[in-house]
Amino acid sequence: MSVSNEDNLSPHMQLSSHFFGDLLDSIIVDVASECHRIARLGLDRNLEEEEEELRLSAQARVTVADPSNSGETNGKYVVDIFGQTHPSVANEVFDCMNCGRPIVAGRFAPHLEKCMGKGRKARVKATRSSTAAQNRYSRGSPVSPYSPYTNSTSTNRLSNGTYSHTVEEYSNGTCEEP
Amino acid sequence: MSFKIQLPCYQPLPLPQISVHSPPCHQKANHHHHINGHDPIPPPCPHLADFRSRNGTKPFHLFQNCLRIKPPHGRASIRRDPSEVPRCGACGVSSAPRIYACVTCAAISCHAPPEPSHAAAHAAAMAPGHEISVDVDRAELFCCACRDYVYDRDFDAAVVLSSKANYIHSNVNSDNLRKKRRIVEYRPWLPDIHERVLVNNNSSVLSFVEDRPWGLRGLNNLGNTCFMNSVLQALLHTPPLRNYFLSDKHNRYYCQQQKKSGNDNGVVGGKRSNGGDGNGGKGLRLCLACDMDAMFSAVFSGELVPYSPAKFLYSWWQHAANLASYEQQDAHEFFISMLDGIHEKVEKDRHKPHSLGHGDCCIAHRVFSGILRSDVMCTACGFTSTTYDPCVDISLDLEPYQGSSAKSVSLKTHSCNGEADCKNSSQNGGISTLIGCLDRFTRPERLGSDQKFFCQQCQVRQESLKQMSIRKLPLVSCFHIKRFEHSSIRKMSRKVDRYLQFPFSLDMAPYLSSSILRSRFGNRVFPFDGDETDASNEMSSEFELFAVVTHTGKLDAGHYVTYLRLSNQWYKCDDSWITRVNENIVRSAQGYMMFYVQKMLYYKAGEKQVAQ
Repeated sequence: MSVSNEDNLSPHMQLSSHFFGDLLDSIIVDVASECHRIARLGLDRNLEEEEEELRLSAQARVTVADPSNSGETNGKYVVDIFGQTHPSVANEVFDCMNCGRPIVAGRFAPHLEKCMGKGRKARVKATRSSTAAQNRYSRGSPVSPYSPYTNSTSTNRLSNGTYSHTVEEYSNGTCEEP
Repeated sequence: MSFKIQLPCYQPLPLPQISVHSPPCHQKANHHHHINGHDPIPPPCPHLADFRSRNGTKPFHLFQNCLRIKPPHGRASIRRDPSEVPRCGACGVSSAPRIYACVTCAAISCHAPPEPSHAAAHAAAMAPGHEISVDVDRAELFCCACRDYVYDRDFDAAVVLSSKANYIHSNVNSDNLRKKRRIVEYRPWLPDIHERVLVNNNSSVLSFVEDRPWGLRGLNNLGNTCFMNSVLQALLHTPPLRNYFLSDKHNRYYCQQQKKSGNDNGVVGGKRSNGGDGNGGKGLRLCLACDMDAMFSAVFSGELVPYSPAKFLYSWWQHAANLASYEQQDAHEFFISMLDGIHEKVEKDRHKPHSLGHGDCCIAHRVFSGILRSDVMCTACGFTSTTYDPCVDISLDLEPYQGSSAKSVSLKTHSCNGEADCKNSSQNGGISTLIGCLDRFTRPERLGSDQKFFCQQCQVRQESLKQMSIRKLPLVSCFHIKRFEHSSIRKMSRKVDRYLQFPFSLDMAPYLSSSILRSRFGNRVFPFDGDETDASNEMSSEFELFAVVTHTGKLDAGHYVTYLRLSNQWYKCDDSWITRVNENIVRSAQGYMMFYVQKMLYYKAGEKQVAQ
């Protein structure tokens, strides 16, 4: 709580810098006393572990980004852990639970959508045979192109960038009724 | 993942109530977890102990009359009357940052090192018995002989009580929530000779492959169903869920039989069950738990050829007719919807109102449901309105990295004065972290002047602070990262492709209501709201990551993949492909949903067994 160079200052300035010094000291002691309490009562967080996790993640990202030791052969699998290989479209055949017709596994969802009369396109062409539906929806790629976001149904999975902390926002994951 | 419960333990034997302490993977210094009511207060210094033995706790209680607290939740100070200006008896200074009043004789002295300490001089001159004093500006005990702050439970209680007396709290009746837990050592169960005969005669033996963990089986993509496969893989390896189904707690044959007979008697009225979606699968009743049971059987059968979860998809579309579309699906939405589906069926069949919040209604909620606490506090008078909401997951906003966590801690402790500015320059290359998201989730937030709430005490609309915390941790915590952003202004959505660091081991203690409340009251030692500390003491707050659902690609064309940890090895489940991966791949993956399970499980005595 010492203020230096008081000689050069006017009494008014001396006084205000004195007050400022007192206030600052008081705030420093406030923080020190809070920290002292947290430390003594063992309420501090395990920062070492948090730092270690951060370090491991940063390290992992560097390792993975390095192409020379990529742990994965860029998405192309040769065999799975059982030594098996799989076609891009699953070729198991089973009977549809809804209509009883045999369906190839990889085309089951588009078939079922039609078969149950669901989805947007289904309603339009509900009378078409399921075989036709299969062909229309068939795709060669094993990767699923689909949108994880629908405009139509619920808004609860969307985060609204601007109001991010309201009550409603956090009821996102809650179940509707008790 | 250490999960001590071995499957054979799940026998309908009258097991003693057990407390399972599965050994945490790496024993860390458990320095701030006070499980089973450990006293967080360090042993008192000899002078404080001496003072207490001579005077009891009465002097501390008397302080209640001189405690002044600036609302709401401001710093506590000691003044005999509100206008008192304490002055050092030795030098007359009143502005020193540390002014202490002797607890024994109320003499006021300053302590401003490196100046000679008048407080210490007072203690020495009057000794013995005048060592303990109180910091008049902070209401903290100080030992003038040890020259250190000391902490005392009764003193803290006095501070909190006078602080609480200022405002009415929405009180929860804590007494009937208190349950005593009896701890019995965990004993592994092995079948005796008779039981072994019984088991052998009534079961088909599975072929056991030693080098692979059980239950790894690819799931065929049925046409854009990786959103479903990714979540199913996580659920199939959610330890409590897996143990439930594998121990036959929900037997699909039995369940269907019951329902059929129930149906005939007209007891189970199909409220919305099949929703007119056709014949309901050849006379079978729609029950997602039955489909889960079938899937668990298939996946844990030892079969290696990928499984097609077709029946499950069919049932789920019947359950959630609005989501029955082959094109656009969100893994998180599926997760919520299917848990809801399991819950709804069980609920309907039981004819019993269960409180969802306590999570003992159905297996989905017993595993995933927790309780969030939301406090809205009037900034004028400190009146706090508290609400509790059950949740099955926590959705978090993707936020920029907020600097080191040390910073967030200090932000928290100052929270009483409103939210400090959190726009700290981001260190560490601006990496977002799950911990940072949780810090933001639980920090107090000033509600805008356009969202004033009606304060029951002031009887007018007031500005307020809102703060979330976790009242009850779920057994399995699912964190959902809001990566899909929607702008209502630009009428467009986009996916936020930013990396979010998530730890393999997570301590939820700082986000518990007990911790949040304690820090709101200056970290005083006090059983806040009675049941709050109880709830946290009974639960372990240490969690361990076991599944990560990731999303790659864009909003309209992407792919979900799940990483699973089984027997300390990570596996990548990409539809029908299951491959081994290095943990670095997982750490650097772009997490969309992270599943954590409690490291330690407690079984409550007196809790009823699940009747199935």
